[in-house]
Amino acid sequence: MKSLTLIAVLALATMPAIAGDIHGKVAAHGVRNSADAVVYVDRIAGKTFPPPTEHAKYDQKNMQFVPRVLPVLAGTTVDFLNSDALLHNVFSPDACAERFNLGTWPQGQTKSFTFKKECFASLLCRVHPEMEGFVAALPTPYFAVTSADGSYHIKDVPDGSYTVKVWHPTLKAAEKKVTVAGATEANFEIAK
Amino acid sequence: MSPVGRRARLLSILTGLVLLTLVVPSANAIPAFARIHKTSCQTCHVGFPKLNPFGEAFRLNGYRMPGETQTEEKAQSLGAEAYKKIWPRAIYPSDIPAYVPLAVNVKMVSAYASSIDEEGHHATKNDFQFPQEVNLFGGGTFGEHMGFFSELTYGENPDGSGGTEIEHAQLHFNSLFGKGHLINFKIGKFAPDLEAGFQEMWLSTNNGIDTMFSFNPIGLHGGTGLAEDGGGISIPAMVKGIEAYGVGAHRFFYTVGISNGLGPSPGGNVDGNASKDVWARADYKFGGMGLDGDTTGVTLPPENWRERSFRIGILGYHGNGKGSDFPLEDENGVTFNVQDRTFNRAGVYASWYFDDLNVFGVAMSGRDQLDTFAADGALTETARHRYSAFFIQGDYVILPPLQASLRYENVKPPSAAEVKSIRALNVGLSYFFYANVKGMLEYRRDLRESKNYTLDTVLRFAF
Repeated sequence: MKSLTLIAVLALATMPAIAGDIHGKVAAHGVRNSADAVVYVDRIAGKTFPPPTEHAKYDQKNMQFVPRVLPVLAGTTVDFLNSDALLHNVFSPDACAERFNLGTWPQGQTKSFTFKKECFASLLCRVHPEMEGFVAALPTPYFAVTSADGSYHIKDVPDGSYTVKVWHPTLKAAEKKVTVAGATEANFEIAK
Repeated sequence: MSPVGRRARLLSILTGLVLLTLVVPSANAIPAFARIHKTSCQTCHVGFPKLNPFGEAFRLNGYRMPGETQTEEKAQSLGAEAYKKIWPRAIYPSDIPAYVPLAVNVKMVSAYASSIDEEGHHATKNDFQFPQEVNLFGGGTFGEHMGFFSELTYGENPDGSGGTEIEHAQLHFNSLFGKGHLINFKIGKFAPDLEAGFQEMWLSTNNGIDTMFSFNPIGLHGGTGLAEDGGGISIPAMVKGIEAYGVGAHRFFYTVGISNGLGPSPGGNVDGNASKDVWARADYKFGGMGLDGDTTGVTLPPENWRERSFRIGILGYHGNGKGSDFPLEDENGVTFNVQDRTFNRAGVYASWYFDDLNVFGVAMSGRDQLDTFAADGALTETARHRYSAFFIQGDYVILPPLQASLRYENVKPPSAAEVKSIRALNVGLSYFFYANVKGMLEYRRDLRESKNYTLDTVLRFAF
């Protein structure tokens, strides 16, 4: 009996923590809508997350970066596709993204870059200066981007206490401590 | 009647006629802004063109909504934000309105005038000025630090001719240094904030405050009346120059400026000498919304035209008219030239809001050094003169579509011993059919002569 109890305790101890989620709304003030805010769980002490082998996709279509904001886990390689019938370039002026410049390429072709460090990298196109996109290379795989009404949903977050941060391309960042226990709601307000 | 008395009466009559016919410039607010920000005129106006406290904050913020980082209408980018990071290896990014931000204002007036002519004969006329003027406005922002405003006005003259004038063409540089809204500049042709700050007056859009802006010191004994072309040498309604202005600690407003001085005539368009005119103004607002739109610690009523506040300020203007000759002829037919060598204007301004009531006014004192030159150019006389002027106006929102105004204005010329002070009463009633269409009745009476008056019926719309 003692052996069975010990086995049961060991089995429970080795099971992953129960996964919950973080959801809520980000109210962005001073901008047209509340879209494009990245909500993410900040570094977790003692935890590291290997980057995915699968590449993330970033499109240039109708002379826009699509999506405008792409969150990835730091270390992820992003493939930049040109879907327009004209030339596009992709470069970043940010040091955390090694100020990469992938050159200029035509429709249908893809070029890739690996975001090795945590970074909020601006993406620009020298051919079309009005184009702007962002890659958010984050410390954990727990992230989401808000929709126009500000809602977001981060799935499969283990129960526990975390610092949850919000980053937006033009507004000041925000953060708060969140204790996840199953479905957990956390709302934010951000402004200039 | 003695020659002096007859001349005084003639000047008085001319003054009255001028008083009855001058008009004020149009206001700095246009439907282009409503489209850019996807909002109603009433967001910024008590009733156009008079601004409410939020509209004043919008104006002083360089035509931006306080706290706004993006306009509601998506702008056409001229460079993404991140290009700032690599400037000057790239042109600094900005944007322009997604469409040409134009707006049109049309004013039609049925003008009834009663006056006394030189011989004392009473005359009346009723003129359909359809339209009296049409204004084409442009306004918006370039990126986060620049804004622009322009106004092209077409007006019809009493003789049937027409004229086009650039009333505004200005570029604003906003919040270039320091805290937001503290240091701003504008350059171009504009109404100096000595005057634009008095814009509450613009509920009565046909009856300008001529005693404040059109007094003419050129004349015997330092002038007796108002300039016939509306220019005067008082404080200018419009200048070509550069102005720095800003709001500090939410409630302090300042402006300093430099502009072309007098030209060959008071209404001239070029500088007549190498000197520039300068001005300054400082205000403080107690209560109500901050001048930058700040509402910290303030409970504002839901009606956006109401507040309880008091704004008080001082203003000053220094001009140099050396070299600008104004020809005159004395009673004996001898011609000579007068130059307003230097002139100074100093005044106080106050505006009090108490819910639906807004009472405001300006009291100003003017000093002129007039140099008189004979026809051969010899300086024959230097004299200093002083005049004073003030107005007080009350505007009242009876109902949001129905608003009334009452104004008394007075100028005491240097030669007041010979000529009575210029005194006028203005009564206005405005009805807003829609937020952008209004009808007005405006009555102006020369208080020195009961038969000198005008009654204007005005229809004005903007889109």
